[in-house]
Amino acid sequence: MIQVEDISKSFGKIDALKNVSFNIKEGEIFGLLGPNGAGKTTSINILSTILKPDSGKVFIHGLDLAHNQDACKLLIGVVPQEISLYEILSAYENLHFWGSLYHIPPTELAAKINNVLELVGLYDRRNDAIKTYSGGMKRRINMASAILHNPKILLMDEPTVGIDPQSRNRIFEIIQELNQNGMTIIYTTHYMEEAERLCNTIAIIDNGHVIAKGSLDELKKISGTKDILKMKTSVLDEKNLLKLNESIHLNFSHNSTELNFECKNITAEISGLINNVLIAGVEIHGIETQNASLESVFLKLTGKHLRD
Amino acid sequence: MLRIFKKDLKLYLKDKRAVLLTFLLPIILITLFSFAFGGIKTNNSKPNPIKMLISDLDRTKTTKQIISIFDSIAGIDVNLQEFDKAKIEVTKGKYVGVLVFYKGFEDSLHSGKGLPIELLYDRAQEMQIGLLQPVFMNVLGKFKAQESMNKNVTGFLNANFPKMDKGMSDRIIKNVDSKLEASNNASTDEGMQLKMSSLVGEEKDTNLFLIQAIAGVAIMMLLFSVSSLAAGMLDEKENGTLKRLLFSPIKPNTILFGKMLTALTISITQLTIMFVFTWLAFGLDISKNIPALILMILSTSFAVSGIGIFLASVSRTRAQAQGFGTLVILTMSAIGGSMIPLFVMPAIMQKIAVVSVNYWGIQGFYDIFWRNLPTSEIIPRVLVLVGMGTILSLISVRLFRRNVESLG
Repeated sequence: MIQVEDISKSFGKIDALKNVSFNIKEGEIFGLLGPNGAGKTTSINILSTILKPDSGKVFIHGLDLAHNQDACKLLIGVVPQEISLYEILSAYENLHFWGSLYHIPPTELAAKINNVLELVGLYDRRNDAIKTYSGGMKRRINMASAILHNPKILLMDEPTVGIDPQSRNRIFEIIQELNQNGMTIIYTTHYMEEAERLCNTIAIIDNGHVIAKGSLDELKKISGTKDILKMKTSVLDEKNLLKLNESIHLNFSHNSTELNFECKNITAEISGLINNVLIAGVEIHGIETQNASLESVFLKLTGKHLRD
Repeated sequence: MLRIFKKDLKLYLKDKRAVLLTFLLPIILITLFSFAFGGIKTNNSKPNPIKMLISDLDRTKTTKQIISIFDSIAGIDVNLQEFDKAKIEVTKGKYVGVLVFYKGFEDSLHSGKGLPIELLYDRAQEMQIGLLQPVFMNVLGKFKAQESMNKNVTGFLNANFPKMDKGMSDRIIKNVDSKLEASNNASTDEGMQLKMSSLVGEEKDTNLFLIQAIAGVAIMMLLFSVSSLAAGMLDEKENGTLKRLLFSPIKPNTILFGKMLTALTISITQLTIMFVFTWLAFGLDISKNIPALILMILSTSFAVSGIGIFLASVSRTRAQAQGFGTLVILTMSAIGGSMIPLFVMPAIMQKIAVVSVNYWGIQGFYDIFWRNLPTSEIIPRVLVLVGMGTILSLISVRLFRRNVESLG
């Protein structure tokens, strides 16, 4: 559906994107995950045609973006990071204006507006000025404005910034509904949990480079990130550690009262580990499991936390 | 483009205060300027004496007699002055004009020839000159009629009563004089012509300062209105709607020209309302040359809209928009004659004025209402305004493209 081939983009001396490539399949929710300034918005701007790459090519639905901008624009809907609406116009007036730019016949447009208002749950507030809406409601209209022309691809640039969890969940539900109806979605975020919850495929981007891409499991494998079993223990001495090294064949780290085991499968390995720790003469005061997450994958791949 | 225009118009109309200011503020300013320039006729106010100079190059009994009559007229403050000095004083605006009795005035009066007399005046004092002219004509007409009558009666008496003694013929002539005086004949100025020349400009038949007020203020206010385009564009940029417009299948130039169409519509409406208001409130005859007026309104609005989109394209921040806007509006208005009438400006300023839209607009409206020029004479000014608007639009397209690229 989308092929990004070796694109680069610089702003003066700053390389925003360096030889970035990825493919997105039809019907996927593709996450572009990275910290602020990683190159996510630049990627979206290139895909949405308002920015030209310095080099490389982008194909959308088989069309070379560089030579088919108008056709590609009709295939794409963009939910920008900002709430890009006219505050003093009503939701209906905003949607009518944005929809009219896509040459939708008036009667069809009116029906589409009502449909998307129903979808985002704001039909009853359609005649209220946007300035009277809450942040979450504005985000939903911001999204509705991008889907009026029924795009095949929806580019969403951090669409949940600054909203409450309830509104965020509502937006997730809408995204999943759109995806179930066949819309391919590209979702940029720096929230790990959003990418984990929504995306089939994730590309981790940092400093303009795509570091890794794949499903969450594939990313775990790529990064070698494992689940962690944490045990709070009595004070560990050399004798205890020597016995643990002899009996346990997993990587583990420790401090004076804690053992951290890297597990491939915690459920299968937990009973054996407890047994070996006890045999080594260590008292267990508490157990905590930590599944491998995007956070740990990101940490492993970049050497830094996502919000650094 | 039409969609952008419709949306922008809707946004504009939603802001009632802005709409009110667009039309109310210039109306208030036109009224104030008109009062300030004396462009409004008031019936109740008692006028100050009109300060007038007389330069007597003939220096005869007759001219002295006429001057003493002028001096006795209430409401006119007459002062004698040498010709050259008088011209300078009038040019400086200290006196409304100078009435010049050229050498040979008395002889011409006696011989019945055209009188060598001229009223040189300050165009900026048009209203006072308008009041003085009939007074002068009346006095001079009476003198001329009296002289003519004396000549005829003397001729008649000499031809028919050659032996009549001089005392009797003088009494008859005096009696005719007093009857002529008493009759206050309205036709005394028949055939009498007072040559009038402006020391600084053209002829007139309407109120200069009313035209100055409407043309000057209206164009300056248009500039204020269209400068809000820059602020509007920055609003679009800041709230992300400009970017969203670019995501849609419309070209950047369409956005720019959609904005220009909005500015053009508001400008045309604003100018039209200004002229209709001036007609209704102050009696400016806007029907004098409607085709020329329409052409001037359209071309001025187009040029001013060009400035609007230029400001919108060149400004990348709100501070820039405010700075550029203030600079352009005040500079153009000051040098172009919106704030101070051009004819009171020094010659060098009048030459510099041609770079401003205000100059061409105001001069065009002067051509229509002041100089009464036909439409064909207005066309060159219209073309200059259209040219200015076109050049500014082309520059704006380039600037806007660069501005848009920075959004990515």
